Amino acid sequence: MLARQYLREIWWIMVGYLIILEGAMIAAILYWPQFRDNIPAIAKLVPFQALQDLLAQVEHAGYWPYFAIQHWFKGCSLFGVAAIAFMGSGLIAREADQRTAEFLLSRPVSRRRILLTRFAVLGLAVVAPVYITSITAIWISPAVDEYIGWGETLIASSWMSLFLLMLCGLCTLLSALSTNQFRAGALLVGFILVNFAVYLVQSLDRFSLFKTIDVWAFMEIHLGKTPWFMMGLFATITLVQFAAADLVFRRRMF
Amino acid sequence: MLSICNLSRRFNQQQVLDGVSLQVDPTEILGLVGPNGAGKSTLLRCVIGLVRPDQGTIQVGAVDALTHSLEARSLIGYGPSETALYHRMRAGELLEFALSFHESADLDEGRALLQRFEVPVRRRVRHLSHGMKRKILLAQALASGAGLLLLDEPMEALDPEARRMVERLLRARARDGAAVLFSSHDLASTERLCDRIAFLHQGAIIREGRAAELQSAASSVLRLTLREPVSVGSLPTHKGWVWQGERTSWTLRHEDAIEVTLGRLQHLPIAGINDGSESLEDLFAALCPGGGS
Repeated sequence: MLARQYLREIWWIMVGYLIILEGAMIAAILYWPQFRDNIPAIAKLVPFQALQDLLAQVEHAGYWPYFAIQHWFKGCSLFGVAAIAFMGSGLIAREADQRTAEFLLSRPVSRRRILLTRFAVLGLAVVAPVYITSITAIWISPAVDEYIGWGETLIASSWMSLFLLMLCGLCTLLSALSTNQFRAGALLVGFILVNFAVYLVQSLDRFSLFKTIDVWAFMEIHLGKTPWFMMGLFATITLVQFAAADLVFRRRMF
Repeated sequence: MLSICNLSRRFNQQQVLDGVSLQVDPTEILGLVGPNGAGKSTLLRCVIGLVRPDQGTIQVGAVDALTHSLEARSLIGYGPSETALYHRMRAGELLEFALSFHESADLDEGRALLQRFEVPVRRRVRHLSHGMKRKILLAQALASGAGLLLLDEPMEALDPEARRMVERLLRARARDGAAVLFSSHDLASTERLCDRIAFLHQGAIIREGRAAELQSAASSVLRLTLREPVSVGSLPTHKGWVWQGERTSWTLRHEDAIEVTLGRLQHLPIAGINDGSESLEDLFAALCPGGGS
């Protein structure tokens, strides 16, 4: 019932996120032939060195880096962060915000179970569209005479999912700390915007989270190198954030 | 069923609960009465585990509610005063959600209660009135199957007929063995319903007893009309006496037998005297000045 109640709260945001992600992915694939023919011209219009490097990689390696940038780096991270902010910021903060905490927390259910259930639902709502759209891309890519493999697509999707789960962990922590859903969401979005701004500064980009999901990371996967260490690191950070959120939530009074 | 001992809680500089001790036995209904800010809700929230007291103990059945809050909550049917609920759910779904955590809950009983309260089960919570939401909260607490019912302002926003119905239901639950503790501003309901009443003022229990005992205490009031104006300094004093009034009209609250008190008032220029009030409301006003209820 806990899972169903939370899923009901976020259902339409999740559906919207899936539709937007799917639409953006299909549009990106269908745009590929035109893009391929105009890469040098587009590169001249891009002001940032970091983005010019991404385009150079696309020009050199073709469809895979283009798809990785369009779908995972841009689509999943942009819409994923927005979805996490909308769906996850209310995880706990909404209970305080809408004064439903007393009703929920007076039930004979542990706060850890509440948090774990909601985190699992949030994680699933964020990650499932990443896999669904990526798998769809495998079927749609032949429409533009390109092919991406199942193995690399699933690993890349897992990589992106772990990145998003890490942000889910952060959002859960912010939500557990906050009395206002909007504040928790705004803090997450602000954190991501700062990270993206840092990414665009060439001398600082290694300090940005986006460095871990840019085209070079996906090229490694394309070359058959699975980034196990970084995947483990993402998972560990997620668990640490969840443990911190659990601690905060258990001690918090409403 | 519920034993609270020496419970204290301070928020910032304010002592919200100050050494509160209470006991509610099975089949008993205890009404907690006090003005706004007296600490009634905080006391109930301590029992349910939402607020941690600074000191004291809470025992629910054989369970220490402070160290084993989850087990204690499974023995409690709680109706909060706050009627903010999940507004996207339908009334029936909210009932099901609330009862899904109680092993001994009876969903059919809950549905029957909603029907009896005339709550439209298919309507979304956001479209329900304050009183309807109150009824859902009552239904889920009553149908939880718990041995202890904790109800924070259960009569608030209910029409008189619904109040009577809730009174009947609570009495029936008490007859079946449940212990009931509820806080209320509705003194008429409290007077009709409760076996015992506790007055909470500024975080402390200032009077507790059976309703009849308290009512007899409440009648120890004399209203005096004097022939000439008298200042409070020239009125006789005695242990337990409290004078209120001005000039020729005074009210005396006393704890002695009436004849003893009258004997001590002999030298006053009394033009008229009558026995004061008898209701719980008067006692409340006397015990909690500025109570506003």
